[in-house]
Amino acid sequence: MIFPAEDFFADAPRPTPLFSAVASVSEANLWTSVNGWTVARVYSSVTGEYENAKAAAALADLGALARYAVRGLEAAAFLGRLTTAPAVSLHVGESARGLMLDDEGYVIDLAEVSRLSEDLFVLTLPTPHARHIALGARGLDAAVEDISGQIAALGVFGPQMAAVLAAAGLKSASETLASSGVLRGVETAARPIQFGAMPGIELIFPKEEALTIWERIVRRGAGAPIGLDALEILRLEAGAPRPGLDFIPAGRAGADPRTPEELGLAHLAPLDRGWFNGRRALRNLAGRPRRRLISLSVDAEAAAPGAAVFCDGKPAGRLTTCAWSPARKRVIAFADIDAATRGNVYEISASGPAEGRVPAKRFETAESGLARVFAGVQGAATDFRR
Amino acid sequence: MSDVKNPMRGTDGREKESRKTTGGHRIEGGIDAVVIGAGADGLAAAAYLGKAGLRTVLVGAGAEIGGRIATREIAPGVEGIDGEHLVTLLDPEVIAELELYRHGLEFAARRLDTTYFFESGNVLRFDGDLAQAALLSLDNDDDREALERFMGEVLEMAAFLRPAFRPLAFPGGDASPKRALEKALSGAAPDMAERLRRYLLSSADDILRARFGDGPLRTLLSAETAFRSATPPHEPFSFLTLLRRFAGEAAGLQGAAAYPKGGAVSVIAALRRAAQSAKVDVRAATPVESILIEGDRVGGVTLLDGGQLRAPLVIAAIDADQAFLTMIGAELIDIGLQRALTARRPEIASARMQIVLKGVAQDDATRRNMMRRLVYAPSPEALAKAFNEARSGRVPEHVMVEAIFPTALDDGAGLDKRQVVSVMAHPLPFDVAPDAQRREEIRTAILDSIEMFAAGFSGRIEADDLRLVADEAAMARASPGAYAAKPDILRQWALSSAVTGSGGITGFYFCGPEAQIGTGLSCASGRAAAKAALSAFKRGAA
Repeated sequence: MIFPAEDFFADAPRPTPLFSAVASVSEANLWTSVNGWTVARVYSSVTGEYENAKAAAALADLGALARYAVRGLEAAAFLGRLTTAPAVSLHVGESARGLMLDDEGYVIDLAEVSRLSEDLFVLTLPTPHARHIALGARGLDAAVEDISGQIAALGVFGPQMAAVLAAAGLKSASETLASSGVLRGVETAARPIQFGAMPGIELIFPKEEALTIWERIVRRGAGAPIGLDALEILRLEAGAPRPGLDFIPAGRAGADPRTPEELGLAHLAPLDRGWFNGRRALRNLAGRPRRRLISLSVDAEAAAPGAAVFCDGKPAGRLTTCAWSPARKRVIAFADIDAATRGNVYEISASGPAEGRVPAKRFETAESGLARVFAGVQGAATDFRR
Repeated sequence: MSDVKNPMRGTDGREKESRKTTGGHRIEGGIDAVVIGAGADGLAAAAYLGKAGLRTVLVGAGAEIGGRIATREIAPGVEGIDGEHLVTLLDPEVIAELELYRHGLEFAARRLDTTYFFESGNVLRFDGDLAQAALLSLDNDDDREALERFMGEVLEMAAFLRPAFRPLAFPGGDASPKRALEKALSGAAPDMAERLRRYLLSSADDILRARFGDGPLRTLLSAETAFRSATPPHEPFSFLTLLRRFAGEAAGLQGAAAYPKGGAVSVIAALRRAAQSAKVDVRAATPVESILIEGDRVGGVTLLDGGQLRAPLVIAAIDADQAFLTMIGAELIDIGLQRALTARRPEIASARMQIVLKGVAQDDATRRNMMRRLVYAPSPEALAKAFNEARSGRVPEHVMVEAIFPTALDDGAGLDKRQVVSVMAHPLPFDVAPDAQRREEIRTAILDSIEMFAAGFSGRIEADDLRLVADEAAMARASPGAYAAKPDILRQWALSSAVTGSGGITGFYFCGPEAQIGTGLSCASGRAAAKAALSAFKRGAA
């Protein structure tokens, strides 16, 4: 799951259902607002949380993301229309990632769809899109309920994830299949998620039981909370673009809309899948990207979003987000560059003490790997742009 | 119109060869294009395709060809014509390119003079040629000058905006009208550009009040603006409605109202002959159940009887709700298009009433007026009140009325004959299913409004026939909303570009009532859809 850009101007963000729980373990007491919900940026230290996620197990309060329960005989058809995720072909328990596109084929948002039963789905989106969803459900037998504030959502990931789940009493929760059931009297749903490249599980339970579940986990000493800043490093390592920062979603003020291909997410909107909103327009846009979003590792101690990117000495684009990656021992960044730019070697304009240009290299992430394989398969198998 | 139901069936050798039967249902191939909807736009589109050599099948749901425009017995032994009674927007290019004059189109009156009746009892006559408006006998010289200047400006602006009143968004078609419009707008003379900027957003009432004060000209032009529009003249963008009205070209004269000999059905008859001479297979009483979408392209249509017509081009000349939401299905169209379709909430409608008179007043004024278009123009305040009433679902006490005497226009104003008056009344509340009481209320309101300028009229009525949008929709098997009064031009533009974009489905084109900008019989969208389809067909895209 990817958090969207923070809304810096929110006055008094609402507490998420898990807020009192996570606030009690926050040492840094550094908060921000996402979709109007309070989200911790740092609990103790960014590096510590990052290392904990890599070595042990991290707990993330995902209550700020928008969630919808979709019920009805045509729920799958509705989700297949609304998102590019193959909702219709999901079996019970399966989840899929996708994109939400507007009528012109530009990306509105990322989406995750999980099928909990034949006619019940959970749709998770970085930002709420109540109106678009309500419009998309018209004429279909699908009831959409916004459950964002009603449930607590806890993301668990890392190598010791199983211990956390055991502590919560969810030994049976699977890393591959979503399930729902009653856990010691508490209704829960568990669904596999990926945070960046790291597999994890998202536990969804009624907000009234938020503290109960949290206490069960924390008392056993299993897992430690992870804040937005550490998650940002994991996200950049995995190569997942963040809405509002790496691209402005279509329909927002000042949006310069991007197609899935331009975001390196063409594999999430394959044209040979059933019809989805915006596919006909996308077909006309396919193969003609204007921009590209690439992952760069920069040979510098620091870089700043907005820094110019050069290729062969010519300006090619700008950095959109960046962070220090302990794993790569470099600054890693997303760069939005001109689609005509080729090559793996770039230069970044640096300010501060090391003024001048510093070299940067493209690197492959989990996401770009998928995109590359997809492009190869697509190119070899079928011409979808008939 | 009522003679032959299916005149082309069996006359074309191809269709028999290409029909085959599978499992009791017929699948027909060898067709290049299917046109759904046998109204004016459908006939025009089919005629264009047929003329270009495409094997074209036109299917209409109703038993008759013509959609809402049809002949019907309105009283024992008296035939009336449903739908439009005048022609104000008929596309001159359609007339020329489809050779409608050769196919029997004839105008009994190319430009009807209009007599306006006011609440005060005043009467003004307007020349049918609007450029001559200043010749009008006005008491006041200032008024005359103001009108002359105003009409000059308005006709110029209307002519300038004419390309913008055509449907523009057809996919794959010739995009040059759009470019031409952009070029024209950017190249407009400074005073024209300034005027457009000022006028486009304004309400007609603001402009008319500034120009004419509270005089009869304001009342007259307010009424013309409001007529058949869902936007009253005091609301923003309403001035564009007047420009749209004056941009029309009925029989070669800008802004005029023309009466085709035999009524609007004769336009349909001419279009039908044009289609038949272009070897279009016209099939009435052939309702379509769904439009086949295969991948992202159209594959043909499924008929209600289970048969299929396979074709790479489908043109829908029916209302958008039926075409997109019923025949294609909400789950296969883009959310934005569905929103554009479902966001409409019609509130205002017009009504048609045809009245058979026992006799008419035996005087010269009446005789002259029978050859004119008669308009009862309530004061702008009364009009605003009527709009408010209609919007809140009540029938206004008095409405605006446009009346003509079709029998007199066709056969001369003989006073010895039974005369028929055809009346269009506006604004009235939009009802999906009006009951008998509502009908009676509307009937009373219309007759009361006519009484305002023709005292004693009700006493001469032999029979009358009220026709509401719900009746027309039922006959043409359309959604009533499609026949409701249209909103302001900006919203019409938005809806038109949404529907003519055809949801991005390759080979599918839409030219139903929602594609048209302005009210009246036009055929411009049928022509545009056919042109776009032809250019795609020639490129091999379909």
